[in-house]
Amino acid sequence: MSEFLTLTITAMVPFLFVAQGTMLSGRAGIFNVAQEGLMLLGAAVGYVVSLKAGGNVVGLVAAALAGALVGFILSWATTSLRLDQFVVGLALFFLAGGTASLLYRVVIGNDEPPRIAPLPDLVFGQDALVFVAVALSLFLWWWLYRTDAGMRLRSVGENPKAADSLGINVTRTRLWAGTVGAALMAVGGAYLPMVFSGVYADGIVAGRGWLAIALAFFGGWRPQFILAGSAFFAAMEVLAQRAQVSGIGVPHQFVSMLPYVATLVVMVFAFRWALVPQFLGKNYDRESRIVG
Amino acid sequence: MSSDLQEAPTGTVDDVAVAPPLAQRAKSMAYAAIPYVIAVLAAFVVVGVLIAVLGHDPAKAFRAVLTNSFRNETGMVQTVHKWAPLTLLSLAFAIPLGAGRFNIGGEGQMILGSVGAAAVGITMSDLPMVVLLPLVIVVGTLAGAVWAGISAWLMESFHVNEILSTVLLNFVSFEVLDYVASVVWSDPGAGGAVTLPIGDGAVLPGIGRPPMHTGVLLVLLVSVVAAVMAKRSVAGFELRAVGLNERASQLHGIRTGRVAVTSMIVAGGLAGLAGAIEVSGVHQRTLEGIQSNFLLLGIIIGLIARGSLTAVPFVAFGIAVLEVGAGSMQRVSGAPVEIVLILEGLILLFLLMSDVATERLQRARAGRSARRASATATPGAPA
Repeated sequence: MSEFLTLTITAMVPFLFVAQGTMLSGRAGIFNVAQEGLMLLGAAVGYVVSLKAGGNVVGLVAAALAGALVGFILSWATTSLRLDQFVVGLALFFLAGGTASLLYRVVIGNDEPPRIAPLPDLVFGQDALVFVAVALSLFLWWWLYRTDAGMRLRSVGENPKAADSLGINVTRTRLWAGTVGAALMAVGGAYLPMVFSGVYADGIVAGRGWLAIALAFFGGWRPQFILAGSAFFAAMEVLAQRAQVSGIGVPHQFVSMLPYVATLVVMVFAFRWALVPQFLGKNYDRESRIVG
Repeated sequence: MSSDLQEAPTGTVDDVAVAPPLAQRAKSMAYAAIPYVIAVLAAFVVVGVLIAVLGHDPAKAFRAVLTNSFRNETGMVQTVHKWAPLTLLSLAFAIPLGAGRFNIGGEGQMILGSVGAAAVGITMSDLPMVVLLPLVIVVGTLAGAVWAGISAWLMESFHVNEILSTVLLNFVSFEVLDYVASVVWSDPGAGGAVTLPIGDGAVLPGIGRPPMHTGVLLVLLVSVVAAVMAKRSVAGFELRAVGLNERASQLHGIRTGRVAVTSMIVAGGLAGLAGAIEVSGVHQRTLEGIQSNFLLLGIIIGLIARGSLTAVPFVAFGIAVLEVGAGSMQRVSGAPVEIVLILEGLILLFLLMSDVATERLQRARAGRSARRASATATPGAPA
């Protein structure tokens, strides 16, 4: 049982970082779709810097900074230039993904990649980032729903015009929320080589970025439900792996479908809590006369 | 600033009334081409600098990447074989996008199409070609449409976000393919998740040497029909109307939900067709990884084409040239293949940026001419 719990928690952490980052940007109205690329970038930067500068902490910080840069470009292009969020996000996804492979190729080349030291265990056999991820989720819940600043951020994603008229700086809010959100996504990516594999590979993210977007919708763009949803999804994944190993008479492919199908089924019954920020993915033009 | 904005439209309307239609059209087409030219050039310049910084020869790299498709027949056939699925998957993204829906499930729909096509091609391999080949293509298309139909149904009946459902169904489709290719019709000699070959009657005939499969012509036909439908048919009009303003369309009697659902199902059918063509024309079986990276390239093509179904096949050709040339670039100049990914992302980003630039330029010019007009009308009045 405790092994099941450990596996679940480890599988949950990258989803948690990326989905909470998506949520944070999204609640301010920035719909980031570059997760897959940002995770790849975080993984490559985290791996390369940890290897060359020695130390996971430096690697994590570097990954976060790289992600923040991409997030800032996204937020700036969609606020100051008011470019389409989806299009810019996908362009940055390509750029970040390409840069990640390129960085790896230039620094490591085609040699056998050396493994980096895994993150050390803190307590209960869990590494520090596990606690950071859970604490972050709880903090985000408290901050968004129990503080003034959090309410202001949510108001920017719900009705920027009203927020603007109350003196909230919509552009600045979106800039920092998009930047911090993308930094969290890159940290989620950096977790993969540091805990799962020890090395970087181009296929390391394997669709987790897209799944994290799905989890943000699954959690109704609320930190506490995203925490619960990520735990549910990760548990399903581990359960499927378990069933696959022990063999239960069903072809393992069907067992592997379980997490995805279960998430869809839950979603069908979840339409009451599955709210989406009103201005998600929409740019705000202060001068526009169209209401809404 | 705000007075510029108000006066700008008046100036444009005058221009339209005065200029002859044909010249006007040529002019507006030229204007539309400018951002593309700027974006492509700028992307090549930036990537060229990057290649030089990495210590390779940019001229050599670009020559390799751009000429590989045109040097001989093999390159050309490779390019059009890549072009066919890219065009279909790009249409599968662009059509729902017209109705404001995001279909990220093209790859799952394509996989299901390939599974459907292979299932027919393997189990009914004895049928003659006249029956089997159309059956393979149709079943593949339908399988893709049904797969997208699940997302469309969840979206319409349960308000499940289509990004969520299409992404999740992609992952389910990988498992379906794995089951079919390594359990049901597994080819024991192949080693890996590969099915048995389909019957001879299910293979798309090839033309020329090296043979180009006739699926390319089918895709050409489909893309022409799609482009004409989008511009000239009621369905195309409704699709655009819903995408532009869903509420207004609903008030004017368009059943918006049905338009969105139909657009998703049509998209799934096109992606499924891509799967069937890959099975019937290229691999003669279905196998793990048949979807390649067509989904992402399809999305980026749809976005570079700005959702215009007419532009999609042309942009798809350009991307197919880059993709086919990437390998040869690495061989000839040593510049890594990832460069091409960066190049594609930059083209899209610069295209958006140059949109902003042209818009500001036009606005500034319209404002200037409006000010001049008001100055001549009332001399001495403050502009």
